[in-house]
Amino acid sequence: MLDAALSALGALLDPTTLAFLVAGVLAGLVIGIIPGLGGTGAVAILLPFVFIIEPQQALALIIGAVAVVHTSDTISSVLIGIPGSASATVLMLDGHEMAKRGQGARALSIAFLASMAGGLLGAVGLTLSIPLARPLVLNFGSPELFMLTVLGISLAALLSRGNMLKGLIAGAFGLLLGEIGAAPAAADYRFTFGTLFLNEGLDLVAVALGIFGIAEVVSLVARKTSIASGSGIGSGWGTGLRDVLRHWTHVLRGAFVGIWAGVLPGVGATAGTWMAYGQARATARRKGKNKFGKGDPRGIIAPESANNSVEAGDLIPTLLFGIPGGAPAALLLGALLVFGIEPGPRIITDHLDIIYTIVWSFALASVIGAALCFLLSFPLAKLSFVRFPVLAGGLVVILFTSGFQESQQIAVLQVMLLLGAIGWAMKSTGFPRAPFLIGFVLSVPLERYYYLTANLYSFSEWALRPGVLVMAAVLVIPLVLAAVRWARARAARTGAEPVAGAAGDTPADEDDGEPEGTQAPPAWTLAVTGGFLVVFAGGFLLAQGYSEKARLVPTLVCLLGAALAALALAVQVYTRRRASSDEVRVTAWREELGWVTRAFAWLVAFIALVYVLGLVLAALVFVPVFLWRVAQMRPHAIATYTVVLLGVLLLLQRFADIALPVGYLTPAILVA
Amino acid sequence: MKRTTMFGSRAKAVVATMAALGLAAGCANPQGLGSGGSESSSEMPARTELVIPYSEGGGTDTWARFLAPYLEKHVEGNPAFTPKNVPGGESITGSNQFVQSGGTDGSQVLVTSGTTYFQALLGRSEVQFDFTRLRPLILNGTGGVIYASPSTGIRSAGDLADLKKPLTYGGISATGLDLTMLQAFDVLGTKLDATFGFEGRGPARLAFERGEVNVDYQTTSAYLTQVKPLVDDGKAVPLMSFGMLKDGEIVRDPNVPDLPTVEEVYRQLHGKAPSGEAYEAYRAFLVPGYVYQKGLWANEGTPDPIVQSYRDAADKISKDPKFASSSEEVLGGYPLYSGEEAEEELQEAFRIKPEVREYTLDMLKKSYDVTLEGN
Repeated sequence: MLDAALSALGALLDPTTLAFLVAGVLAGLVIGIIPGLGGTGAVAILLPFVFIIEPQQALALIIGAVAVVHTSDTISSVLIGIPGSASATVLMLDGHEMAKRGQGARALSIAFLASMAGGLLGAVGLTLSIPLARPLVLNFGSPELFMLTVLGISLAALLSRGNMLKGLIAGAFGLLLGEIGAAPAAADYRFTFGTLFLNEGLDLVAVALGIFGIAEVVSLVARKTSIASGSGIGSGWGTGLRDVLRHWTHVLRGAFVGIWAGVLPGVGATAGTWMAYGQARATARRKGKNKFGKGDPRGIIAPESANNSVEAGDLIPTLLFGIPGGAPAALLLGALLVFGIEPGPRIITDHLDIIYTIVWSFALASVIGAALCFLLSFPLAKLSFVRFPVLAGGLVVILFTSGFQESQQIAVLQVMLLLGAIGWAMKSTGFPRAPFLIGFVLSVPLERYYYLTANLYSFSEWALRPGVLVMAAVLVIPLVLAAVRWARARAARTGAEPVAGAAGDTPADEDDGEPEGTQAPPAWTLAVTGGFLVVFAGGFLLAQGYSEKARLVPTLVCLLGAALAALALAVQVYTRRRASSDEVRVTAWREELGWVTRAFAWLVAFIALVYVLGLVLAALVFVPVFLWRVAQMRPHAIATYTVVLLGVLLLLQRFADIALPVGYLTPAILVA
Repeated sequence: MKRTTMFGSRAKAVVATMAALGLAAGCANPQGLGSGGSESSSEMPARTELVIPYSEGGGTDTWARFLAPYLEKHVEGNPAFTPKNVPGGESITGSNQFVQSGGTDGSQVLVTSGTTYFQALLGRSEVQFDFTRLRPLILNGTGGVIYASPSTGIRSAGDLADLKKPLTYGGISATGLDLTMLQAFDVLGTKLDATFGFEGRGPARLAFERGEVNVDYQTTSAYLTQVKPLVDDGKAVPLMSFGMLKDGEIVRDPNVPDLPTVEEVYRQLHGKAPSGEAYEAYRAFLVPGYVYQKGLWANEGTPDPIVQSYRDAADKISKDPKFASSSEEVLGGYPLYSGEEAEEELQEAFRIKPEVREYTLDMLKKSYDVTLEGN
């Protein structure tokens, strides 16, 4: 075994192979930095080469890219609050908060170190779990996967502390949106309104970019300032290192959660990363320095460590069972097949060298990737000090391009715009968006594993399986503890100081507080909550037309959502009577509303242009005008900016197989 | 527009390389709606796009990308092949786009798989392509093996006659490639207790290994790599294969020569050759679904010389020594057919009789409580 490991390392250190590894790392980093382009984008870049080079080199190339995509996707999440990928949305909580306080360097250094450690631990975990993985995966049946999705969804409640009702409504809305498309257990297509485009369901990247990215762009353009306050880009790198060393247990725990989320087919990187964040937050001590949601280093370490090790764990089902967990793994599988290597139970005995090549490549790529990210982030950290409207011109184009990639249907642009509006409305009326995303990601797995469990087992069979019992305990024990604590607090508090927290909240720790930014007046909150109620009611009615196995879950979700929304409305109406209107706040809100409306008008204009001219020409018109009118840049700066942006887009189209939306009047030479 | 001046000389290269592509993409409507295609010329274009209605890295995508360099070498005129993935809508999206705007000058060809065919055969309302009119260029088949768990007491296919309990099967969706499995059991008259909703054949196989289901099928290549080791350990019992087509007859699959075909098992159980509606329906889906599962197609009206150069290439590629040595794993040892050989059988399969389609939809409804929308 050691022989195989060493000879694989020797082969990897061959200059050509090493060059391919570095090339893969560079491709992965670049794709990771561009918001919304993740693993699939990296695959598109690498595909043309994979089938023409030597097997070892192709492996090094693919693994190099896969290992680092989630290192560099952190950068835009942390610095500008635009998710670099769906799983990097988690960094917008603590990572971006830290950057907003001018500690971008600290946040990034934490992220890269944790990423590197996660990658290395992932490589170690990959090696160690090869003999264990098969029995463990086989013991993890549908009931366990079902419980795991339930556990994941319960994170929605954890992440809405201090705002429980609104958080749960958002989670239910995510579940509902996730149900669009083919039902897992029946031949029905749900909530598609007769369009082929929606049959496939909404794409996660487009949803994440809409609900977080577009919403962020719109409200930041309104403020016209830079993202970070204060100065001091270069400082904080050392602090970051110390943070990681102090919280080394979170590095380990994050990596552990990540590896398993990768190993188990059907969980996915986004859910795995959020689970890692959830466990860190759930187990953090309540007293003292708990600043989760406000820039706690542990809120960066755990998910960053996890999202790199997810990719390592993901290789196990690919290699041992021939089941790829995502696009990059599918590419790896395809490449292995072409080279005559058959993933499956025999790979350990027949191709141990291949496994070690993969392990070494992964470890090496993690280190190189993190080092390169450090270098890159010095210039990139300045981004958070640029006036936002200047960034927005290009970001609008990039966000819509990225969201377009998966479905390649122009209608997705309208969906993103709509989700952007919903995201902004949620943000300004205090509906947390993290529970929404968790609901969206786990919606289909929850339903799938529910039906598989219910069909394949009797209740007593599955409910008493040890794995299920353990997870049920993890789910229930905190609730019991919380109830006990609440009861004690209630007993102790005999008319003394009131504890913070509104009606319906569980034990209040002041995690989230109010989201920053101008808050909407109560009437708006009322309207948004009413809107959710209408959506759930509509969903309920539509769901009644589906066949039995496609109907149950949407019906339950809609009933739950409608009940929560109705309750929230009642609470709001009740508290509103007591609230007095605040003149200053009303004026500030009006001003904000005006700006946001204008920002949306710009976006609508851009989408309209894309429909007519296609993306390239639309950007050619939109970007200069936007930079001139909104960002008030100088002509030569506008020209350079536009040319560079278009150049990058066309290069990506030409060499990275990135699809650019085509309009009614796009000249044929711009169509690839 | 000052586009050309802005992009400078690099644009010229782009323009040059994309000129042919521009023709290929035809008019520039979003999603290629409306009438497309340029004047048919019987000359082979310099570049040809492989329109793949499946996502990057999947089975069909790998097949097409593996084949591309050999096509480049052996198709007359040596066009450069660039893959273009248009995934979504169970491959309907990309295939619709191809028939609308793919043109007839050979600058785009469509890559298909069984799922694409089944959508047409089941009469899904969104389908705008008609495989009786499209022209098959090169085809490649696959096979499938059905196996069961020893816990069922089954030692060979003959034991299917006296089963105490219906076998449990895990599928993805009753209207996808699982359909052939359901039809095979319908032919045999053996009851199947099927659960749909698995993410893929891989997770379904894991469920078999865990004992959650006790009968399963895999494509032959997955069977040989993933299931054969289980068979050797006594954890799985192979029952039968879908076989392959030879001179219009289903014969044993040469990759698993010891396994009887579904037809042989029927004869063993019922003492006569299979016939009737159930068997007709099974055959109607088997031929496009497995025998010619992967294919390259051109639009109706593509000039004969272009079609012919692809068909000729099928034979040349098969004889390419490099192809022969490396194709085993990717193609699973199944031969490439030229469209000429397959055209008749495919046309027959796609001229599916309304009563056969009706029977199939009825079977899905009665046995599996599955109703297709719009039917």
